Amino acid sequence: MAEESILSDEFIRQLISVGEVDILIGIPTHNDAKTVGPAIQAIQAGLLKSFPRERAVIINTDGGSSDGTPDIVQGASISDVHRSYNGYTLRTLHAISTQYARTPSEAVAFRTILSAGELLRARACIVLSGDSCNIEPGWMDRLLRPVYRENFDLVTPTYSRHKFEGVLVTNLIYPMTRALYGQRLREPFAPEFACSGRFGSQFLVQHKWSHGDERDDPRMDLVISALAGGCRIHQSFLGVRQTVKPQSRDLVNAMRQTIGSLFSCLESTFPAWSKISGSESISTAGPEFEVSDDVLRVNRKQLKQMFSEGVAELRSILESILTPSTLENLRQSAESDEASFRVSAELWVKTVYEFAASYYKSVINRDHLVQALVPLYRGRMLTFLTENRTASSEEVARNIENLCLEFERLKPYLLELWNGRK
Amino acid sequence: MPEIRDAFWYKNAIIYQVHVRAFFDSNGDGVGDFQGLAQKLDYLSDLGITVIWLMPFFPSPLRDDGYDIADYSTVHPLYGTLDDFKEFLAAAHQRNIKVVVEMVLNHTSDQHIWFQESRSSRDNPRRDWYVWSDTDTRYQSARIIFIDTELSNWAWDPVSKEYYWHRFFSHQPDLNFDNPAVRQQMWEVMKFWLELGVDGFRLDAIPYLIEREGTSCENLPETHAIIKELRRNLDQEFPGRMLLAEANQWPADLRPYFGDGDEFHMAFHFPLMPRMFMGLKLEDRKPITEILQQTPEIPKSCQWALFLRNHDELTLEMVTDMERDYMYDSYAHDRTMRLNLGIRRRLAPLLEHDRRRIELMNGMLMSLPGTPIIYYGDEIGMGDNVKLGDRNGVRTPMQWSSGWNAGFSTGDPENLYFPLLQNPVYGYQAVNVLSQKRSPHSLLSWMQHLIRVRRSTPLLGSGSIEFLYPANHRILAYTRQLEGQTILIVNNLSGAAQAVELDLRRFKGQIPIEMFGGNLFPRIGDLPYLLTMGPYQFYWFRLRRI
Repeated sequence: MAEESILSDEFIRQLISVGEVDILIGIPTHNDAKTVGPAIQAIQAGLLKSFPRERAVIINTDGGSSDGTPDIVQGASISDVHRSYNGYTLRTLHAISTQYARTPSEAVAFRTILSAGELLRARACIVLSGDSCNIEPGWMDRLLRPVYRENFDLVTPTYSRHKFEGVLVTNLIYPMTRALYGQRLREPFAPEFACSGRFGSQFLVQHKWSHGDERDDPRMDLVISALAGGCRIHQSFLGVRQTVKPQSRDLVNAMRQTIGSLFSCLESTFPAWSKISGSESISTAGPEFEVSDDVLRVNRKQLKQMFSEGVAELRSILESILTPSTLENLRQSAESDEASFRVSAELWVKTVYEFAASYYKSVINRDHLVQALVPLYRGRMLTFLTENRTASSEEVARNIENLCLEFERLKPYLLELWNGRK
Repeated sequence: MPEIRDAFWYKNAIIYQVHVRAFFDSNGDGVGDFQGLAQKLDYLSDLGITVIWLMPFFPSPLRDDGYDIADYSTVHPLYGTLDDFKEFLAAAHQRNIKVVVEMVLNHTSDQHIWFQESRSSRDNPRRDWYVWSDTDTRYQSARIIFIDTELSNWAWDPVSKEYYWHRFFSHQPDLNFDNPAVRQQMWEVMKFWLELGVDGFRLDAIPYLIEREGTSCENLPETHAIIKELRRNLDQEFPGRMLLAEANQWPADLRPYFGDGDEFHMAFHFPLMPRMFMGLKLEDRKPITEILQQTPEIPKSCQWALFLRNHDELTLEMVTDMERDYMYDSYAHDRTMRLNLGIRRRLAPLLEHDRRRIELMNGMLMSLPGTPIIYYGDEIGMGDNVKLGDRNGVRTPMQWSSGWNAGFSTGDPENLYFPLLQNPVYGYQAVNVLSQKRSPHSLLSWMQHLIRVRRSTPLLGSGSIEFLYPANHRILAYTRQLEGQTILIVNNLSGAAQAVELDLRRFKGQIPIEMFGGNLFPRIGDLPYLLTMGPYQFYWFRLRRI
């Protein structure tokens, strides 16, 4: 029986009309009518400034918007029929849209974009989030130029962040990918990135696309594939990132999408990461990292409570994942009072590595295992917030760097766990 | 009054532009002449053209290829005699080929007797026949056209110690059309040739006849008044003759040159040509459709003159800076190919000797609204020689055969007015009429076929145009309609095969008949009409309700 295509016939018809392109801009959306219009204007302005001669297409993959998002995109074509742009353009710039489902799925959205990139033989693909409300024309040049003109395979952004923003990235995702793959890639799970058509096609084939799992997010896997595959990677500073939608409070889902993917990739990329020690910086335009340190209120008491309850309630599960000494140290932390509470860098790194090794060995259901890490992460988060409450941006950056070095120092510990010697 | 069989003959004409010097040398002196041109009329007749446009052939110091006329009343001795011209004209008319003569009204050579007299003293009766000034600061708003060679529109005359006005080269002083005597004299010049039987004039540099302070000195109302006067004279005394304007302007600025049908019969559509090349390179119809959307309606009796290439550079005056940069990078990567604001190359080299693109461009030339003009040699895919300087690289001798001097002249090769092309791709051994006549699949044979189809379809000369705008922007599709008849034209601007769906519902029930092969295509229904097209392919369909 013929395999069902994820691309609808109508979408294929639109792609036929677009034809071969040099640059593909993918915008996954879901009810982003408020932001997608200005985003497209910024994209068009950026394209016309930096790539006025290139054949380009804007492709919106929509997860069932009910607010007219796809109509806004489709109305933004620049052609001899549609003149949505006030300036002059050399050639037609199509903006097309496809609704792949009634519910959003990052996996289907990305797969659709990468499939379209392959069908249209795009030399460079850029993915921008439809809910970003401050996309600037300059982003096109900063993300695309290294791929299109300088032969990089992947360009990820760096942002200006508040010191307590993206703690999952600064305390786990970044330091762990850095330690494992030896490259200091600041945003391994970014909503914006650019990749070469060649790398996109390669990933399209390699990635195990799940059917019907809306939680699957291939972005982490994409970055790890590039890191482990020896691809040329570049970072570009984009400044502050703003979205109109509130950050998701679903930490479990975020951990699944990121840590689950990261742990999952370790097995297939073992030959690559097991030989690496230390790390090196990668080609970067602009600052690697920028931290602002204005006041942010955090409910520390609640975080401490969630950590302690998690350690207690998940004791039997944690016993199957963690070594006795690590578990004991976590338990002691859980019992300490709020003032002296601390999940040290060493304890945190060992905890994460032991989870990673257990994930590999499938000591329990892998999804449950990732969920079990959530309360422990809250403990580390509380520690980070406490330690950096009055820290300057430079001190925060230094503390993150120290944590990264701890991840690198303890990497042999992970290898020992992995190889069953612990 | 002579009988006029078809007053609108120019609307369905196929014009062939030729310089007598370049076509055929009958006496072996290395320069083409009227007797030679007359000998080649059968070739032109076989090709199917209906009008010859002759570039300037008047006595001239030839510092601007004859556009610097020193005597309007005869033929340059290099090209023969006035009698030779008359015999050529009669022979052309015998073959139903009309002859349009290039006429430069705006300026003369500085060697013309009128200018010699004018400069001889400030009180000479012809002093006021040219534009003199004791300062070079007048008319500062007028642009300089030949920016590569001229620094000012004024030149100092050391004889009469004043400045004279020139919009082109400094050896081409502008006539003073504010002077009634000049206007009368130039009409007498035109009358002289009309009485010999020429069928029309291509009037060179027409926007520049009049100068006024504080203006660009182009397209002025006074200039239009002069044109109306000339047209009135022409219609009264020589009905059925035609005036073609050379005015390199935007469409909206060109429109007044048609007046209410009481100025020019025809005008070149300059901005379209570079956009056809741009659309082809971009593989995008946008530049072409946009310029045609901006093209105003013209009186029913008037017509656009369309061309792909001519004796000048591929002018990029009527494009934006972004477009000009793109055109230079795309078509003139070698900087020696650039001249003024343009590209001095012929059609075939511009299209990289790609037969499919040459056919597509000619197909569009013949099917867009207007009268097509073919530049001599382009029908066989002649090349150019940018090393010859100025625009001479596109003015080399016609390549008739692979024999001695390409069959152009029996003289010594070193006596030829310009050297022949000899490179392996475009040289006369590879590209010539004789060899192409022997092959039914040659470019020449194909051009004959194209012209035959075009001539058999008068509505392409007079019909309206409507664009179809399929979603595939690489496809330029339009209908041409006249009196209930419809032709559907579909062009693939891409070098790759394309699928296109056309919304033809309003022609539901009609059967497309492909006009080059005569084959039927499926009847048009309610669904989008799907066509698959090869690289650079084009279709012309006659829609028939049977």
